[in-house]
Amino acid sequence: MERLPLYGYRILDLTKGPTGRPTLGPGAGPYATRLLADMGAEVIEVEAPDNGGLRRSDTFNHVNRNKYACTMDLGQPRGRELFLRLVALSDVVIEDYRSEALEALGLSYDVLRSAKADIIVVSLSSHGRSGPEKGFVADGADIEALGGLTAVSGYLGGGPQKTGIAYADAVAGIAAAGAVALALWHRRRTGEGQHVDVAGWEAMVGLIGEHVVGYSMNRRLPQPVGNRHSSMAPHGCYPCAGAARSADLRPDDQWVTIAVEDDEQFAALCRAMVRPELAADARFADVVSRYRNQDELDGIVGEWTRQVEPQAVTQALQAAGIAAAPVLGVPALFDDAHLRARGFWESVSHPDAGTWDVDGVPWRLSRSPAHIRLPAPRFGEHNDYVLRGLLGLSEDEVRDLAGAGVIGGGPDPDVRA
Amino acid sequence: MTSLSVLRVLDLSEGVAGAYCTKLLAGFGADVIKIERPGGGDPVRRHGPFPDDLPHGEKGALFLYLNTGKKSITLDIAQRSGALLLLRLVEGAEVVVESFPPGWLTELGLGYGSLARIKPRLVMTSVTPFGQDGPYAGYRATNLTAFAAGGQMVVTGEPDREPLKNGGYQAEYQAGLHAFAATAVAAFSADATEVGQHIDIAAVECMATALEPYVSSWAHQRRDIGADRSADPRPQRRGDVEPAPAGLTLQDLLEAPQLRARGFFQEIDHPAAGRQTYPGPPFRPEAMPWQAARAPLLGEHNEEVYCEELELSRKELVILRASGVI
Repeated sequence: MERLPLYGYRILDLTKGPTGRPTLGPGAGPYATRLLADMGAEVIEVEAPDNGGLRRSDTFNHVNRNKYACTMDLGQPRGRELFLRLVALSDVVIEDYRSEALEALGLSYDVLRSAKADIIVVSLSSHGRSGPEKGFVADGADIEALGGLTAVSGYLGGGPQKTGIAYADAVAGIAAAGAVALALWHRRRTGEGQHVDVAGWEAMVGLIGEHVVGYSMNRRLPQPVGNRHSSMAPHGCYPCAGAARSADLRPDDQWVTIAVEDDEQFAALCRAMVRPELAADARFADVVSRYRNQDELDGIVGEWTRQVEPQAVTQALQAAGIAAAPVLGVPALFDDAHLRARGFWESVSHPDAGTWDVDGVPWRLSRSPAHIRLPAPRFGEHNDYVLRGLLGLSEDEVRDLAGAGVIGGGPDPDVRA
Repeated sequence: MTSLSVLRVLDLSEGVAGAYCTKLLAGFGADVIKIERPGGGDPVRRHGPFPDDLPHGEKGALFLYLNTGKKSITLDIAQRSGALLLLRLVEGAEVVVESFPPGWLTELGLGYGSLARIKPRLVMTSVTPFGQDGPYAGYRATNLTAFAAGGQMVVTGEPDREPLKNGGYQAEYQAGLHAFAATAVAAFSADATEVGQHIDIAAVECMATALEPYVSSWAHQRRDIGADRSADPRPQRRGDVEPAPAGLTLQDLLEAPQLRARGFFQEIDHPAAGRQTYPGPPFRPEAMPWQAARAPLLGEHNEEVYCEELELSRKELVILRASGVI
């Protein structure tokens, strides 16, 4: 197997930082460094010595696989000096502090650059590093609302709806990972490092760009359209037969999505529903008629799907060349034949937390396929590697730093994952 | 011009995901050629909204937004002479992005293996709903059905109603953003090692990686906390900004003082659609400023690419046009 694309590049990860909460949702920075660690970068999380008990959780272990961890108190002069020595040996620093907080620690971009002339610094925040609101904090759900996604989401005729996940965190995290790759490209080509400003709010707006341009054209605010589409009908989510996914659920909570793109597909749908006469029905004869009579049409499709299980609807319609897919929850995704066949779920063993399956690497590279190589690091697990291996400190120096509280004392046996 | 301008990208994709990936590459400076089918071009051209609600292939907001900063040529790669022209373009390219049903390019003799023989350091990014292999690889899908199969729909909406899709094309945009970052990583690596590779991005996998904390809760405790659309497991943190639950409307957004002060929104003129407002970059690398340029007209760069670069004669161009190859 070939080396991973970012093998040999070192990234210092200050996200979800040692000195307090991040300036955007807690998932963004660690997701960015997860993607980069998956691609082979040596990501070293730098944590405060008193941070361990707060941070280890199921989610922590999920998002921090393939990373290393060390402890350093950046608020102490000796901790800051250690960090700058580490910067000199690194390629990238990624952080999500409030814009003034790193400066207050004496770790501004200019200072980092004086330690390593071509260092790449990626700063993640909700609002960005300039402008009247540059120090503001907003988390994932608020960033969705700020970014305009909430206002254009919702049931037909209903009010705005948020997503069901920390969407803005993921979006900012992916953007930041891409930013690191571009900055590495630039450094390779020019020899220069740079500072990258990632504002989660702006990254979020980018995912509804057509609404911005559309509003600019007609000055009309788009209304939520539920699961419908302007040029496809039927296009929706329909109830199905089948057992509940879990004991907490109503037995009827089974759903399938169907999208019919043209007349030919509609005729095929009618045959699958054993209602071939509908294809010639004037109410549904072309896409405009189907769009206008969509309530009625959705009722007819729903009557059929209600008697069939979601996977059976999907298979019948796919065989007829129609886009259909079940609405899958996490347990179904874990068991999904497709994701299993692709090896999407990977098993990971952690010395404290045990063995479990999590999602593997969403970027499949043909020459250098990436996998989970390491479980999430225990608190301070790689202090020895960083302090003695990379920085060349002696055993006495390390003991002295530990005694002075500049670094942690290594893995805390009381801190369980 | 940025340091990325030496990165020539051929975009064969249709739809939102691949176009968003190459939009970002173009914005940061890459030289992106969008390759559209002769006749109507990318079907996204037919999506509204349009100015004054009058449908027009050069004026759709979705197309205009997704294709800023690219060139457009027309080419029917399903014809042999079209395929040969594509192979000539691949010689001068670093990246190919595509979104065809898996296997289709290989049938045309244009799969990754064939392209890599011509250009060993080529990065080819395939972005599709279900990926290049596995039992659902051949499934037809749209943004809606991919959103459902990726696990994000079941947690969206009201508990007593059907699961809900988010506004716009979020399944496709997520896949496109991942495809962009993965392409950037692989292109950087190929630049250093002279060896490219094929990247397989599946929208459903991109979505499933963002299902935290639902995934770890199920993985560790077998608790399905997202199942009924009523749970909001996100941390109850309070930011400095608490937008109304309804969120900012587009009007609010365009007037937001913070975004205005940062110059985020940009006016871009277009010969058919006129001057409109567009969002700026998703992040700002200080040494790679965002190149705000308009979307191309269908086939606008045919002469530049075919005649000036590939050195075809005008007569050859006329013949290719008449036979529907371009």
